[in-house]
Amino acid sequence: MAVGLTLIFGVMRVVNFAHGDMMVWGMYLAWLLATRVGVDPYASFILCAAVLFVAGLFVQRLLVQRIVDAPHEMQILLMLGVALVLENAALLFFGPEPQRVRSPLAQSTLWLGSVFVDVARLVTFAVAIVLTVVLSWFLFRTDIGRSIRAAADNPYGALVIGTDVRRVYAIAFGVGAACVGAAGALVAPLLPFQPPTGLQLSVASFNIVIIGGMGSLLGAFVGGLLVSVAESLGAVFLKPSLKELVSFSLLVLILLVRPAGIFGKRVA
Amino acid sequence: MPRVSRRTFLRATASTVALGAFPRALRAQPKTVKIAAIHCVTGPLAEPGQACRLAAQIAVDHVNAAGGIKAMDGAKLELMLGDTQTKADVARAEAERLINAGAQILMGTFNSADTNAIVPVAQQRRVPFLVDISAADPITANVAKAVKEGQQKTQYVYRNFPTGTLFGVRAVQYFNEIFKEAGVSPKRVVLMHANDLFGSNQARGFQAAHKAANPSWEIVEVIPWPEPPSDLSTEVSRAKAAKPDIIAPITRPASAQLLLPEIRKQRVEVLGIVGPGSPGLYEAGQLAVLKEDLEYVMTSVPWPNFKHPRAQKLAEEYVKRSGGKTLDTNSGYSYDGIHVIADVLERAKSTEPDAVVEALKKTSYKDNLMVSTGPIIFNEIGDNPNAAPAMIQIQKQKPVAVWPKEHALAKFVFPRPKA
Repeated sequence: MAVGLTLIFGVMRVVNFAHGDMMVWGMYLAWLLATRVGVDPYASFILCAAVLFVAGLFVQRLLVQRIVDAPHEMQILLMLGVALVLENAALLFFGPEPQRVRSPLAQSTLWLGSVFVDVARLVTFAVAIVLTVVLSWFLFRTDIGRSIRAAADNPYGALVIGTDVRRVYAIAFGVGAACVGAAGALVAPLLPFQPPTGLQLSVASFNIVIIGGMGSLLGAFVGGLLVSVAESLGAVFLKPSLKELVSFSLLVLILLVRPAGIFGKRVA
Repeated sequence: MPRVSRRTFLRATASTVALGAFPRALRAQPKTVKIAAIHCVTGPLAEPGQACRLAAQIAVDHVNAAGGIKAMDGAKLELMLGDTQTKADVARAEAERLINAGAQILMGTFNSADTNAIVPVAQQRRVPFLVDISAADPITANVAKAVKEGQQKTQYVYRNFPTGTLFGVRAVQYFNEIFKEAGVSPKRVVLMHANDLFGSNQARGFQAAHKAANPSWEIVEVIPWPEPPSDLSTEVSRAKAAKPDIIAPITRPASAQLLLPEIRKQRVEVLGIVGPGSPGLYEAGQLAVLKEDLEYVMTSVPWPNFKHPRAQKLAEEYVKRSGGKTLDTNSGYSYDGIHVIADVLERAKSTEPDAVVEALKKTSYKDNLMVSTGPIIFNEIGDNPNAAPAMIQIQKQKPVAVWPKEHALAKFVFPRPKA
């Protein structure tokens, strides 16, 4: 989830406030495939990623491309608008009830002595690692990936050497959306979702990405781990209702000590 | 253009002057009474909010089909719809908007925080507000206190629904009665709750009632979570470590979908999951998602009295108009709410706010469809002391009233069978 957000920001410098709502659509897609076609979300996440990739391309070409050079506040307003449209469209199509995708994997647990391991979470974690590695390979080892990095580093320089920056931006946005589509499908058996869940997910993504460093893939991955562990420790050693206080305190601390995030680059 | 004769002109002028000279109250009553039904029809609590709205609409249709408000020349009820989006600031803005658009009575909202935000608007604008659903005690208690201390002249806020305190008292009573009837004596209860206004208030009510009743069982741990939660595995681990006999959850729909599967996954062995009263444990949408995780779960919630012949008929109509959903806590109380307003208008014979308030205070509505200990009346706080929950249990994937005995449609299953 956070990897997609950091990719979009890293390449286009667009703060995608519709990120959480795009993920909710990934969840609903997995839900539709599970309930109507009977495909398990741990198999359908690739299809969800593909659909969100196409949707991402469409949104980028139709809307985001127009505001790439606009001030951040204009970008935020547009993306908040997209988020509202996505949320209300979900409400219209799927109704207000919280949903959760049922999967046999999500029902199973592993017991190592008295230690309990949720198999679904373990699989989701493993797939997240694989997807991050694949994305890194894509960005560092393929021509399109190199073009994306070039456009992220210096769009004008990339233009000069003949890169189609508009196309690169569209692909980057599509890949970011695909990441969130896959994440949505993988999380759908773990987390109940309903149309307004998007805001909560967007806030969680921003927290992770800012802690890890905006624009850094490794940062998004490490940030996600840090936030989860901090929240769990907070729930154990403090009151469970204070666990979000712990993760957001971590955010404040990081911003004070290292404003660019753990793996973020300082901008002059 | 037709010519206007001198006589016609004089007659019309005299009539206009005469009409203006009459006091307002003597003029013909308006043909409709505008009721603002403000519920959380979008946002995290949209499912129960939409149930409330639909039930209010059905009730308005029934009142109008029966001839409207007879004491007001058959004035029809007109429902003005508002959506709080499950946000307190939006709730307040919606109340203002609908009052500006002519709403004469407010009803709502399901979510305690939203309802609480509308209270000052109702008081400032002098618009009677019937709280159909919301349990947090301060909603009416704060206004009653302000009126008692002379800071405000009149109380415009009244509540048909049980308060958190009342929920707590009944829940502890039902726990004791059911344990005794089942011949088991659980000792350790873990209370797990959402920490929003509703959840915290319900938890406080349950703890206070437990302390007052001093039963043979103890609340050994209280575990709140931020609502809506993204994960409850740590909370359930903590509950398991407390070695509970009973888990008493106060949930919202989304948190129930996390909590119950987690209890199963972590193999928390308990005699039962028995809630002191909250949504998330009985709705059709929840049953479709949680399936066997909800089986044998009990919760003490306001419930339609299906022994009342009209309740059965309404339930059938509700199923048809909702696309297959069941008449429950939320739809039932909103339906009753509109009928209470109609009854009040019949007696007030006016929509003048103070006349409506006077009629509200004298309410004794006996034809309510929800389980209760008597007719709907309003005490000095503005609450209905006869509002009462029933203990329901999910049996064969359907919610059914199991306690108290006079309202029970099935025998409870407790302790719950081991999987």
